[in-house]
Order: sequence, then structure tokens, then C-alpha cells
Amino acid sequence: MTELRDGNALPSAEKYYEEYGLRAKELKAAGKKVIGYLTALGPVEIMTAAGVVPIRLKGNVSEPITKGDAYMETIVCPFVRNVFDAAVKGKYAFLDGMVLPHQCDSIDRTNDVWSSSLKLPYWHFLNVPHVTDDPSIEFMREILRVFISTLEKFTGKKITDEAIAQAVKSHNENRLLMRELYSLRKSDPPLISGVEMMKVLVAAMSLPVKESSALIRSIAKEVKQRKTPSVEKRARIMLVGDQIDDAAIVDAIEGAGASLVMDGLSIGSKMYWGDVDVTSDPVQGIAERYLRKLKIPTTFVGAGNTYQENLEARFGLMKQHIGEFKVNGVILFIYKYCDPYGFEVPAIKSFIESTGVPVLYLEDEYSTSTLARVKTRIEAFLEMIA
Amino acid sequence: MISISFGLHGKREGETIAPIKCREDDHMAEDKKPRALATQAAAKIAKFVKGNLSATLKAKEEGKKVAYAYIADGQDEIMRAMDIVPAWGESFAGVCAAKRDAEKYLQKAEADNFSRSLCTYATCTIGFDMMREELKGEPVPGAPWGGMARPDMILGSGQLLCDPRFKWPQATQHYLQDVPVFVGSMYYPPFDPNVDHKEQEKFYVKYATEELRELVKFCEKHTGKKMDRDRLAALVDLSDKTWDLFIDTYELRKAVPTPMDTGDAMNTMVPFTFNLGTQEAYDFYKDLYDELKQKIAEKKGVADDEKYRVLWAAGLPSWFALGDFQYFNEKGVVFPVEVTYRGGEKIERLGLPKTNDPLEHIAWRWVRYWTHWYDKARKRPGSIPKVERIIEYIEDYECDGAVFHSAFSCRSWHAGIIHQAETLKRVYKDIPVLIMEGDIVDISSYNEADTHNRIDAFIETLEAAKKRHN
Repeated sequence: MTELRDGNALPSAEKYYEEYGLRAKELKAAGKKVIGYLTALGPVEIMTAAGVVPIRLKGNVSEPITKGDAYMETIVCPFVRNVFDAAVKGKYAFLDGMVLPHQCDSIDRTNDVWSSSLKLPYWHFLNVPHVTDDPSIEFMREILRVFISTLEKFTGKKITDEAIAQAVKSHNENRLLMRELYSLRKSDPPLISGVEMMKVLVAAMSLPVKESSALIRSIAKEVKQRKTPSVEKRARIMLVGDQIDDAAIVDAIEGAGASLVMDGLSIGSKMYWGDVDVTSDPVQGIAERYLRKLKIPTTFVGAGNTYQENLEARFGLMKQHIGEFKVNGVILFIYKYCDPYGFEVPAIKSFIESTGVPVLYLEDEYSTSTLARVKTRIEAFLEMIA
Repeated sequence: MISISFGLHGKREGETIAPIKCREDDHMAEDKKPRALATQAAAKIAKFVKGNLSATLKAKEEGKKVAYAYIADGQDEIMRAMDIVPAWGESFAGVCAAKRDAEKYLQKAEADNFSRSLCTYATCTIGFDMMREELKGEPVPGAPWGGMARPDMILGSGQLLCDPRFKWPQATQHYLQDVPVFVGSMYYPPFDPNVDHKEQEKFYVKYATEELRELVKFCEKHTGKKMDRDRLAALVDLSDKTWDLFIDTYELRKAVPTPMDTGDAMNTMVPFTFNLGTQEAYDFYKDLYDELKQKIAEKKGVADDEKYRVLWAAGLPSWFALGDFQYFNEKGVVFPVEVTYRGGEKIERLGLPKTNDPLEHIAWRWVRYWTHWYDKARKRPGSIPKVERIIEYIEDYECDGAVFHSAFSCRSWHAGIIHQAETLKRVYKDIPVLIMEGDIVDISSYNEADTHNRIDAFIETLEAAKKRHN
């Protein structure tokens, strides 16, 4: 990893953002095994405990899909298609294996397509349930144990509970550090821009946890030394969606005169709020965290006594963030062909609007090809809330 | 491989397809002459469909509870044993589509930001719900056979099968906020050629059984009645018998010429899919069995001159274009078998462990229904269970080719179809394959002339393949 010195933390993040997978490639060259995974449901604690390098996969919004469509239908989530396209073009040729957690139909229905096209030495489909009751937690523990046993077989190394507990500690620390960095966005104007933050989030998901933590710590130190500039008041925007992992859309928001001060993204706040509890069986805490604390649309939340209670349980954290980060406009950016997010648009939109904050709903592609259109919509929205 | 693609794929600039008025008792479009049904039994299906919808409307006066329910969730016998009347969204939306009258509901949902790319079964039904709520629960004028009653509960299922099965109930509750929702889980072990699924089956069954127990508790709470365990056990037994009879009946279609094809099966699936756990469903297949036997004895086939036998390999049909099966038939192409809606298997082939717990039996039946193809797939390098099933049907029913349908609004059934077709050719043999693209409900993706042209081209490949083979 690039040595972190004063003033070079943000440029380091930018480098890992621009050359995505750079560090994983270096570690692979040094003899480490690298496992790619999709979505926020990838149980990084277990991969870290196994001694492999986990890297969350992303696509490239500027790259048209040229090979993937020969294998995968265009009705599949555009994000999944784009990452698959990158993989079949060899962008992730350094991977030793992949984990596909069952997040949605677009993933589980294409599991065979991925595994037979990439032919990696290690493959695992992690059958994460959608429901979060007690039997589901027990089931999640079982499937995590199956995952552990397949990883042990692949690496030839036992994954001890002690190693898992240690990995839990490291990833909890990582989440805490990222939350602290987020808090530097509360000031007006924020100390770190949305574009910078997006690059940090992307870089962080490509690094081993301790390196990620060191990077975030250094960035926070650099950012804290900044003086709050006196600029004219800008709209404070929150971006909500699944895996938005490119600065282009953020640049469109900030280029139009607003500040992106918070997100509800699956590579952002959804990932970093909600730690793994320390439990006597460390897998129990992991099961609970991924099913109950990770608030993504593919986990069904319905234990409340009323619909309103369930809405609070599903979106309450977002409401809390709107208040804490003084958000005055929310952009809900949903990928086309996404049933889990698409079916909750009316609920989430009315829930946020009930806090008095307006919402711009955009349904679009994982591609910059439509960016001009998106920019126009964003500009109109910002004018409206000005 | 031939791929038919219409844009949403498919509506051309300036092209409109007007809604077409249909007969009230017909389960299909009536833009020209209705699709001829090859069996008498299929002609009875409209009564089943109408009966299921009417039952929801009558339930209130009969003091019964109505539940929004979703097919292939393993919940049939529980609902029936507790006298809960299921209101099937998929059936309602399918009927609207067949009548080419879904657009108003789709537009209603779209107006509240439900994208057109979402499951159109769901958005059609949600649009209907929104209209009924605006009418304070009164029937929506023009809804087929009065539509569905406002439910007392919604029973969804999180599973490896379909995201809308848990997102649709949640989205519906946004408009019916006082209606309680239950979402259970029904999973099966994923196929991995390097992992023995049998080691995992037990905990999958344990989980599914516990989730079914949770469903029983939920139903007891909201009906105020205790589950009659003996009645449940009897209904589960009846379902097993229906599974067996359903398969025995469908296997008669192996005969040459085939006495029934997929065009009819898209109707005759109704009792199995929507009325499982009822005597009426069992009796229906008894009649169909007898009718097919008779047709075989008389050598009466679906086509006047059966030239090619083709498998419907995957995908839900375009309900507004079932007449396309007849187009195939008129050209001498018949479908003696289909994967779609063949949601059962002979019980003895599943090797279910014995249990006195009917819920555990449902769970085993569910898990083994999916996993009983795995061993075969493992034996053929590069294969997958879905393709093994296709190969088995091609061989058992002597098929010359395979047709897939990819609906743009449904990832559950339709993502992964290209891979199935490619794998079939790679691990089995190079047989003619047609992949059609369209939708289940949204007619804007459909163009009949183009569809027929592509079918013609596919038939040419069948002819060429047969010549090569001979």
C-alpha cells in the first residue's frame, strides 16, 4: 500500500478509486488469495478471518456493455450487468474466487451465468434470506457456517472463532472511523465534498480492512485541518440508492451548486451504520448484523404493530440522518429493473416528504450515457428547493 | 438460436394497440377468433378463474377471511385448512392481460412512481388496489368479474424464487395500511457442483417448517380460529395425490400425436396452481386424465398434421397473446410439455422422509421439488439442474426444439434464460432454440406480425434440423 504521509491520504484514495483493484492486484502478486463479492451483504468479517483479500466489485459507468449482453439478459439490473461485463472483459482477472450473496433476483438468477462464464477456482452462492425473524437468524448462522467450511477447504486453513472475533473487531473499528469521517460533513459547508467522499467510499471497499482503516484515519486527520471556507449557502443534498459507486452523479449535483452532505447508499451509510455485536459465537453477531442492522430493501422488515412502525424501522435511520446532516433535499436514484428498490419508491418518497424535505425520484441506468438528462432533472430540482 | 426482440423493448414509434373487448367468460384475448382449446377440460378453466375471484367477493357474507396470496409459496393447504379465501394477484393480473385491459391499472400504479420495468403482475394489481381504495372498498367498475375483494391479510414469502413475493405485499400495504402482512421464508439449497446439497437439506427443511409454523400462528391470530391439525394433514395428503395425478395426466402427453399442448396447459395449470388442496382441483385432473386417454385411443392430436414437437422450456407466457400457440399448431408445431407451471412431481420420485408433521412434509416436498434434479446435473459436467430438467423433457417427450419466453418485467423467471439455452446446446446437443421477448401483462411490448415472422423463421430451422438429422 502507498505509504500514508501528511497530505497524501486523499490523493491515495483518489488513486485507488481511479485504478480500482490496484491494491488487490499487488497483494495477489505477493501471494495472497483475492475474493470478489457483490453487494453490502458480503460478509467481509469471515473473508478477513480466512486471510483472503475481499474486494467488493464495481462496474464502470463510463464503459458500455459490449460483451456481457451475450450471456445475460438486458432485463437484469444494470449494475449487475455492468459488473459482469467488466468481469468477462478481464478487469477482475486477478480474482481467485467470488462470493455472490443472495440479495435479489438479478443476482440469484444469474449465479450460474457468472460461475460458468468466469470459471474461477472458488465460487460460493451465499443464500441470505429476506426475512429477519429468529428462525431466519438461525438459518443465516447455518449458511455462514457452510460458507466458512467452503473457504476453509479452498484456503486449506481453519477459520477459528478467535480469528472471526478479531475480524469483527477490525471491521467495527473501520465502520466507526468512517462514521467519524461522515460527521465532518455536518458543518455548513461540509469539510469534505461529496465527490471526495465518494472516492473514499469506493477506495475503502477495495482495501483490506486494516489498510482501509489507516486510510480513513489519515483522511479524517487531513480534512479536520481544513478551515471552513466562507462560501454562499448551498443546498444540502442526500443521495439515496443502491450501489452508486462513481463520482459522476455526485459531480452533477455539486456542479449544479449544491453540496452532497449525506447518502443512503449501499456502499455508504447503509454499510457503515450498524456494527456486529460481540457474541460468544461470533457468527451469531454477524448473522444478526447482516439481517437486522443492514437496512436494505431486500430484507423484509415487518415486525412492527403498525405500518408506520414498520416505516420507521425501515427508513428511520434515513430520517435521523436528514436531521443530523441538515439535509434539505433528497435525490432518490434507482436503477431500472430493480424490483427491491422500485417497489418501495412510493413508501420511501412519502416517508421522506413527511419530514418536510422534498424528494427527486430518478429511475436510470448504471451508465453516464444518460447523465445529461439526469443533470437537467437535478438542476430543475435544485432550482425548485432554492 | 433465434431471438425475437420487441422493444420496451418493442413498441414502435407511433404504434398503438387499442384495448380489445373480450367475452366475459374467455381467458384470452379476442382481437380476432379466440384460441381454440384442444381439450374439453381446458374449456372449464374460465369457471375456475371466475370462481376464485367470486369467492373473494362472497367471503365477507360467508364470514370468511380473504388473504392476498401468491403462487408457489407452499401456503395453499394452510389457507384452505383455515377457511381463508385466497385472492391471487397473479391470476387477477393475468385475466386483465388476457382481456387486454390491464393498461389502466398499470398507468394508475405508474402515476404513483411504480416503474414500468417492475413486475407487471404486481403493478397491475396495485393499480387496481389504488382504485378500489379511492372507491372506499367498493368494486372497481369494469374489473374482470368484479375483481378481488379487499383482503383481511396479505401472505407473502421471501424465497429464492422471486423478489416481488415479498416486495409486492409490502408495496400493497402502502395503500392498505390497516391490513396485516406476513412474509415467511421458503428456501432450498443452491446448486453447486462441488457441494453435496443433501448435507444441507435438513436445515433448509427445518427453517421452512418453522416459517410455516409462524404462518399458522399469524393465520390463527387474524382469523381467531385454531388450526385443525387433522384437517391440515388430510389436505396435505390430498395435495400429494393431486401432485401425482397432475403428473400422471401430463405424462399422457408423451403420446404421438400429443393430445394436449402448452396452449391448453396455460389454462389447465389453474387448479394445480390456484386451487391446490381442494377436491375440485383433484377432480379436474381426473377428468382431464380420462379425456386425454380417450383422445390417445382415438389418435386425436392437437395439430391436424403433427410435424414438430417442441418444449416450452422457460418463461411465463404473454397472457394477451395465447393465440400464438394456435399459430404454432396451425403450422404443425405442438408443445407436448412445458417447464412453466409444472410445479409438481410424482411424490415417489422425491424420496421424501417420513414425518407425522404435515408442515414438515410441505417443507420436504418443497425442498426436494427443487433439489431432485441436482444429482443428474452433477453427473453431466457443465450442466445445471434447470437444463437437466429440459433435457429430460426433450427426451421423454421426443422434442425437436425448445422455445423460451423472456418477459421484460420479470427477472424471477426470465433472467438466466440465455444461459440455459447456451448450456443446453453445449452439454446436450445443438437443437433449434427460439427465445421470444415480450411481457406477461404489458401489451406495449408485443407485435403480432413480428412474432409470427420469427416463429416462421424458427420453424424453418426445425425443418432444416430434421433434414440434417434424416
